[in-house]
Amino acid sequence: MLQYAMRRLLVAVPMLLGAMSIVFFAMRVLPGDPCVAMMGDQATTSALADCTKNLGLHRPLAVQYVDYLWRSVRFDFGNSLRQGYPVSEYIARMFPHTFVLVMASAVVAALVGVPIGILSALKRRNPLVDYPLRIFALLGLSMPVFWLGILLLIVFSLHLDIFPLIGGGDLDGAMAMIRSGEVFTYPRDFLALVGDVLHHLTLPALALGFTLAATVSRLSRSAMLEVISQDYIRTARAKGQGERVVVYKHALRNMMVPLLTIIGIFVAIALTGTVLTETVFTRPGLGKMLVDAIGARDYPLAQGAITVFTMTIIAVNLLVDVLYAVVDPRITYR
Amino acid sequence: MAIVRGADPLDLTLSGKPEEASRPLGSRLRRWLPIWIGACMAVGMVVMAAAAPLIAPVSPSAQFGDAVLKGPGALDRHWLGTDEFGRDVLSRIIWGARVSLEVGLASVLFAFAVGVPMGILAGVRGGRVETLIMRCADMLMAFPTLLLALIIVTALGGSLINEMVAIGIALTPNFVRLSRSLALTIREQDYIMAARALGSGQIRVMARHVFPNALYALVVVATLYIATAIRTEASLSFLGLGIPPPTPSWGNILSDGRQYIKCCPWITTFSGLAIMLAVLAFNVVGDALRDLLDPRLRGE
Repeated sequence: MLQYAMRRLLVAVPMLLGAMSIVFFAMRVLPGDPCVAMMGDQATTSALADCTKNLGLHRPLAVQYVDYLWRSVRFDFGNSLRQGYPVSEYIARMFPHTFVLVMASAVVAALVGVPIGILSALKRRNPLVDYPLRIFALLGLSMPVFWLGILLLIVFSLHLDIFPLIGGGDLDGAMAMIRSGEVFTYPRDFLALVGDVLHHLTLPALALGFTLAATVSRLSRSAMLEVISQDYIRTARAKGQGERVVVYKHALRNMMVPLLTIIGIFVAIALTGTVLTETVFTRPGLGKMLVDAIGARDYPLAQGAITVFTMTIIAVNLLVDVLYAVVDPRITYR
Repeated sequence: MAIVRGADPLDLTLSGKPEEASRPLGSRLRRWLPIWIGACMAVGMVVMAAAAPLIAPVSPSAQFGDAVLKGPGALDRHWLGTDEFGRDVLSRIIWGARVSLEVGLASVLFAFAVGVPMGILAGVRGGRVETLIMRCADMLMAFPTLLLALIIVTALGGSLINEMVAIGIALTPNFVRLSRSLALTIREQDYIMAARALGSGQIRVMARHVFPNALYALVVVATLYIATAIRTEASLSFLGLGIPPPTPSWGNILSDGRQYIKCCPWITTFSGLAIMLAVLAFNVVGDALRDLLDPRLRGE
């Protein structure tokens, strides 16, 4: 078990290294000098030279590359070209917003997707159940999250005026209260802040959650189909157990391994989804930060955001793979 | 070659002509109807894109000063309304189909042309070549498609060709993985050994025996990736990283219309609908074909 985990970890290291190299070199071939982008076209030659020196861009590429890797490991991504503050500060501030969005949409996707997937696997011979569910899955899979988001905004924000049009609520305030311990002294204020955050979170979570529910329902459908065609299910049926017992006691429990796969895939697509969702709902977060940074040619900020995205995805997949071995002792590293 | 084909595990479901004819009509309809519906939608989209100059009511860049932000039906010459410059939304959506489908098809072709030979090589050769190719693919797989395409398109700059290349590269590892796993199964077949025994070299085996036998499955999956590519293109355009204006693409029409959702929701609604229908068409076809090919998931 431990050996498996260590081996899996060792495989993740070159992968992370490679992914970060791609980010580094992609950002280096970008059109335009970051210093020109920062200081404008009117900057004098000596000012530009100073800037290049300050950012370390005059050094050989290999040195810059190693420096970037070493700094990234310590979560030091340099300073934002526009505002001048450390990129890690922006990331630390934006990460919670993206985190709650991913979590909330995971709840929506699981509540909608998993029952639909299981139902459509069990009732696949009944066209009256199977067809509507499959059509739902196809629609969800084909509907761009930014379009669904705009439709929700048109209906619920502009026409019905139930949910806010922009913003992410005072998440920073709520977190500050938790850190300072004011949660216990002013529980009412804290609840009001949480309510505000949830109010802002509802539409984005619904939009992202529904588009992800389609993927989740497919994955859980095929997971269920795989489990239900196993020998032990036939044995259970042959023993004369009712369909209900077969599904709940034998099939669902064995869905743990496929379910873990779903979580791994889910995090990757949900994180990408946040880029679009946060942009549509003008919500603070890593995804919106990335898009804004690219638009403003703020390369360190964009580089930092992409690195965090990639690190998260690789880390989650690593965790999922290790959990496989915990859930299913038969799994070993090949 | 004829005998070889019959032995192909991937061929089984499609080769059974007599079996197909003996099925009851309802069952046959259930299997083929989605394919026909999806295929008609997809072909319709392609025809619309190809014939854009003929069927678009007006030029997509023509500005009608007297019809700025007019809703659908407000003027009889603009069926889907107009945008903030008085341009006809319907014409822009019809022309936008070109960008979406060109990028969708070209990027999948790119990924296919690059990924499949590498995957087959990895699967058939094995050893260090396989390790090298698969590790590279794994590295690219660490990025979700949109994120990788976004990085590449940022590095290259937004244009039609760059979008195709970016999405193509982002999709390539998927084809590498799939064709490798197909090649792994196929290389164990007797007909490969027969071909080797007859003196076929490695390249000949890969090109004449492994590739044709993997083709069905690859084409089915490619159809699904066209849907992904179209959605990715729309997302990039929506984020302002795709084709620069004034060339219309569904994503940038939708993105431009965002400022006017309060007064004029038709711009975003119809352009988004176009994206969804195109993605849906290719998803339906790919899905139905995959169900036909993979008896395990068919659920019959």
